Amino acid sequence: MAYNASLYIFIFLPICLAVYQMTPEKHRWKVLLGFSWLFFYMISGKLIVYLLGTTLLTHYIGIWLTWLKTREQMEIGNADRMQKKEIKKKYQKKRRAVLFLGVLILLSVLACLKYYNFFVHNTEMILDRFSLAFPLETRQVMMPIGISFYTLQAIAYMADVYWGKIQAEENPGRMALFLGFFPQIMEGPICRYSDTAESLYQGKSLRYENISDGYVRIFWGLFKKKIVADRLAAPVGVIFGHYTQYHGAVVAAAAVAYTVQLYMEFSGCMDIVIGSGKLFGISLPENFRQPFCARNASEFWRRWHITLGTWFKTYIFYPVSVSGPVKRWNQYGRKHAGKYVTNLVTSALALFPVWLCNGLWHGAKWSYIFYGMYYFTLILLGTAVKPVRERILQACHIREDAPYWRVLQIGKTWVIIFTGELFFRADGFRAGLHMFRSIFRGFDIRQFWDGTLLGFGMGRADLIAVAAGCIVVAVVGSVSERKGNVIGRLGKVRTPLRWCAYYALILAVFLFAAYGDGYQAVDLIYAGF
Amino acid sequence: MKMKILRRCTAFFLILGVLLWACSVWTDRLAEDMADSVPGRNHTVAKISAEPENTVDLLILGDSESHTSMSPMELWGESGVSAYVCGQSGQRIQETYYMLKKALQTQSPKAVILETNVMFRDPGFFRNLQTCFAEPLRYYMPVFRYHSLWKMIFDGQKNTEDDYKGFMIRNAVDPCDGEEYMKETTERQEIPEFARIYMEKITELCRKNDISLVLMSAPSPKNYNYRKHNALQEYADAQGLPYIDLNLKTKEIGIDWKQDSYDKGDHLNVYGAQKVTAYMGKYLKENYDLPDHRGDPKYADWDQMEKKYREKLNL
Amino acid sequence: MEELMEILREIDDSIDYEKETALIDSQLLDSFGVITLVAELEENFDITIEAAEMVPENFNSAEAIWKMIQRLQEN
Repeated sequence: MAYNASLYIFIFLPICLAVYQMTPEKHRWKVLLGFSWLFFYMISGKLIVYLLGTTLLTHYIGIWLTWLKTREQMEIGNADRMQKKEIKKKYQKKRRAVLFLGVLILLSVLACLKYYNFFVHNTEMILDRFSLAFPLETRQVMMPIGISFYTLQAIAYMADVYWGKIQAEENPGRMALFLGFFPQIMEGPICRYSDTAESLYQGKSLRYENISDGYVRIFWGLFKKKIVADRLAAPVGVIFGHYTQYHGAVVAAAAVAYTVQLYMEFSGCMDIVIGSGKLFGISLPENFRQPFCARNASEFWRRWHITLGTWFKTYIFYPVSVSGPVKRWNQYGRKHAGKYVTNLVTSALALFPVWLCNGLWHGAKWSYIFYGMYYFTLILLGTAVKPVRERILQACHIREDAPYWRVLQIGKTWVIIFTGELFFRADGFRAGLHMFRSIFRGFDIRQFWDGTLLGFGMGRADLIAVAAGCIVVAVVGSVSERKGNVIGRLGKVRTPLRWCAYYALILAVFLFAAYGDGYQAVDLIYAGF
Repeated sequence: MKMKILRRCTAFFLILGVLLWACSVWTDRLAEDMADSVPGRNHTVAKISAEPENTVDLLILGDSESHTSMSPMELWGESGVSAYVCGQSGQRIQETYYMLKKALQTQSPKAVILETNVMFRDPGFFRNLQTCFAEPLRYYMPVFRYHSLWKMIFDGQKNTEDDYKGFMIRNAVDPCDGEEYMKETTERQEIPEFARIYMEKITELCRKNDISLVLMSAPSPKNYNYRKHNALQEYADAQGLPYIDLNLKTKEIGIDWKQDSYDKGDHLNVYGAQKVTAYMGKYLKENYDLPDHRGDPKYADWDQMEKKYREKLNL
Repeated sequence: MEELMEILREIDDSIDYEKETALIDSQLLDSFGVITLVAELEENFDITIEAAEMVPENFNSAEAIWKMIQRLQEN
């Protein structure tokens, strides 16, 4: 039962809402927890033990860290100045060890499930060169749904407790709800404890506005997923699946189509997820902010899968950039290498692990690692050429905010995005490279409109539906970019107009969505990561 | 405050209901008008609703086993009984029920033959539950069934493969070894719970409309065995329904597994269907009073269709 | 405070640091800006900024930065 299934939207959610409302306020969080575990069980069955294990571990580490903190305070209370420093140092070390233990266990579980085969396969290949045998074999591993997402939430929680940003949660049940809340378990958004925990436990009563706003958001998500994304799944699958047979404009179109599919699907799913939270009066963090308005690669990543980017920034980028070795380099570099080089190298040192992890997080494939390194290079390049770029712009009298310049930059960023997603989707790095090269072989721009693109399991009518859907999303997006979230503010419009908008949205989904006979339900892409 | 919200909600859903109903009326009519080009599994639904009112005396329901084993044109030529096959590939029991309901909107058949393979299809609890909600929705709000028809404006109308009152001519031969597959046993395969629930509804619907319901198992080594036979026989006895298992009568019917299947014993081809239809025609004649419409000017197009059918067969 | 202002202006002189209160939240200072700033602060004020301090609240305005510096100097 995925979020886009009618079973979820029209049966699971209403039942959950009804039970939630009938339960006394104090116990409502338990209803959410019960339904969350039911949801998880319906998808992953017995693999729910992984979630339970992670919950207990995270809870325990949090308590342990707090306990160490209180012990420290007690000892400091009756110590002199010199001893205080000693004690602080001692406990600092202990707490760090506890944090590392927790993170290590979580990452090992993730590694065993997600990266085991990758590791075995590649080691085998290397050893094979030297005619050596490797004792381990690849095997079929069942991954519980959402493990990549809730593991990050658990790590963030432990780090936040360690840093003293939040108090440790004492109730394991509440911890379980924070990690396993059903709308966000499959595809995120990756929530911080300080973002959602509070409102998850509050058990606010249902409100008319929340429910109507929530369902509008859900239908908006269905619009994106079912009208656009699901239609593109077939042609994208055909071209990426038989990539050796195509070249030129067809491959370029496939890269664009996949990017559109991925965006419509992931952001549409996020609309459903955030809308689901809204029904209960819970605000989940936004994951997208008009990514196709970005002017460069780094801005793109501040608008695309925002919670993942924020996670990496908070828990990898900054910690690495203020870590001992990097600081020592900074001091050394400032004396000997000049500011520009020092800053650049510091950025590279902090960025590299971020993008390596970003690539790996998506899965154990070389093409994902390449995807991470691709953005690492581009973003670092962006910082490197910044001074030169500014000088050139000044010399040519180009204003940064001139519309034509903006359009050019956005266009450039699109090319970067499409290329990145081509490698991301391709079946392995070699396939990606092959496809990328083949774009420049026999490229015929006329193929974009002469009907060649209709031959991939998508008729003229489907293409028109996709185009119309994209236009609607683009218009809503560009208004949102200038004036703030349109869908979110629809609830404040006067009634006749608002109802018309609701009816238009609902009927569009019911009439034009790719469901029923002749269409296959398409699995959520990000649920696989 | 609460009353106000309640009033607003009622108004909102009322208008939504009216809009959906209007779309439904429109799409339903559209589907009827161009029933020949409605694609996929909705084709059968559109076609049966497009049949002239009260002309069909015998309905045949079920999955692909039904529409490959009974040929209405054979029956017409033999005895002038007007039969229609409402079988769909992979039909689910919920679909069977609503297919019958749909047919009863315009037809008043005297007998229904239900091919029993649908009674063993079990896609799992959640799928079943989903279908239990989806099917009535499609029945009462046809817009959910036919919503993709707008695509014809851009893609053009394409007639689907010719069918003869729901039967399609498949004359390929892909033999199976014809090994004895009905080995007697006392074991039986459980009929899934959802099938039982919907079978009860189907039986009730037939009783209410004064329709004789007959259970029939089409010959198919791939789909039938003695364990299913036992379950069905027991079920039919308990419900007081006539049950004909053709798998036990293949010799009598004259099925030759080297000739009569087009996919290694999964389904019968047209030669198998001819034999089964002849047998069933005799059975119906002996047990039920179905009128002979041959020569009736109202049924002139049936004669024409039979001519076309024979021509196609002899090609 | 004046020293801090100078450091900030060196990183980006197009921002009005006296008034701005959302340097991070409105993306005026990107993450590279922040790590450059941290390096400068550590050198000029003789403090150690740890990962725990790397939150938007500490960097959103010149005043917030100044408060953090003072707090860290006390320790």
